[in-house]
Amino acid sequence: MILLTVVVYLAMSKLYKRYAYPFLLPILTTTTVIIIILVMLHIPYKNYMVGGQWVTSLLGPAVVALAYPLYKQRRFLMNYLFTIVGGVLIAAISGMVSVGLLAKLLGINHTLILSIIPKSLTTPVAIEVAEGLGGNASMAIFGVMIAGIFGAIIAPTIFKFMKVHSPIGRGIALGSNAHAMGTSKAAEYSELTFSMSSVAMTLCAIIGTFLGPIIVWLFHF
Amino acid sequence: MKIITISLQIVILYIFSFIGTAIHNFFHLAIPGSIIALLLLFICLCLKIVPVKFIESGAAYLISILMLLFIPTTVGIMNYPSLLSIHGALLVITVLLSTIISIAISGTASQFFEKKAQKRKDDKECNKFSSHSA
Repeated sequence: MILLTVVVYLAMSKLYKRYAYPFLLPILTTTTVIIIILVMLHIPYKNYMVGGQWVTSLLGPAVVALAYPLYKQRRFLMNYLFTIVGGVLIAAISGMVSVGLLAKLLGINHTLILSIIPKSLTTPVAIEVAEGLGGNASMAIFGVMIAGIFGAIIAPTIFKFMKVHSPIGRGIALGSNAHAMGTSKAAEYSELTFSMSSVAMTLCAIIGTFLGPIIVWLFHF
Repeated sequence: MKIITISLQIVILYIFSFIGTAIHNFFHLAIPGSIIALLLLFICLCLKIVPVKFIESGAAYLISILMLLFIPTTVGIMNYPSLLSIHGALLVITVLLSTIISIAISGTASQFFEKKAQKRKDDKECNKFSSHSA
């Protein structure tokens, strides 16, 4: 099952490199292909996870690994400390509160709300936060993916509409709302926007883990 | 040779992650163990307790295959066929609206903070200049 996952993933990454459409992102296509295979062969998810959990167990060290890019950009972070921390804090609060309130308004069930609260954090961290809050990991990824893909697509329009022209403002908004997808979008603007976005992404993940439980408690989500 | 370096460095990251989880369990913290480990590693790197060389290839490698690591978890969506119904649509709408709101707010706020920080810096330089001239 590990082999199947890796092989399908490599094939889909090749496909994506050839045709870079957002809906061909390897994570979407690989997941779809594997689900189809499992359903056709009548293999339950539990059996797939016997092998799959080995892949998942690397997520812990992968989160720790995020310290490395943050360390590389520490000077940059220190130079703009006030702006970055302020911007990311606002982003994390507005992202979590707005998704929680909207979900409550639309009558989405409790576990689902808890799963999508961390939707603006980078995936490995969102999984942990969702599980910590009592949500579901698969749903959390679902929320994160939608926020990431859609956020990266819609952001330029929002920037135009809200007159956000500074590379710093754009970078922070992209990194702390649309994480990795937003950061790759930021790379299209400029080097500064890109660095800002990747620092914001990591910082947002860290701040988000502290804020998540507080916001859930405050708003009774 | 490269594979060995990467594997060993991933083991170091594993050890950090393990320590983080142990701290998490011991103090019953709400913050996940891996985030504690991230902060711990960041501090160790800044204080030069752990040289960057010890982890950089492993960290860069893990980040490059990050997408692959999520796949077993995303496949778990197959247990929730209800996502294809109205519930799923509502969920998508919620996330979309929230993302729009939050990008607008945080982009505007960050730009505002940036201008403020810039102004403070300028003021400082002005003061320096005026004190020099005085």
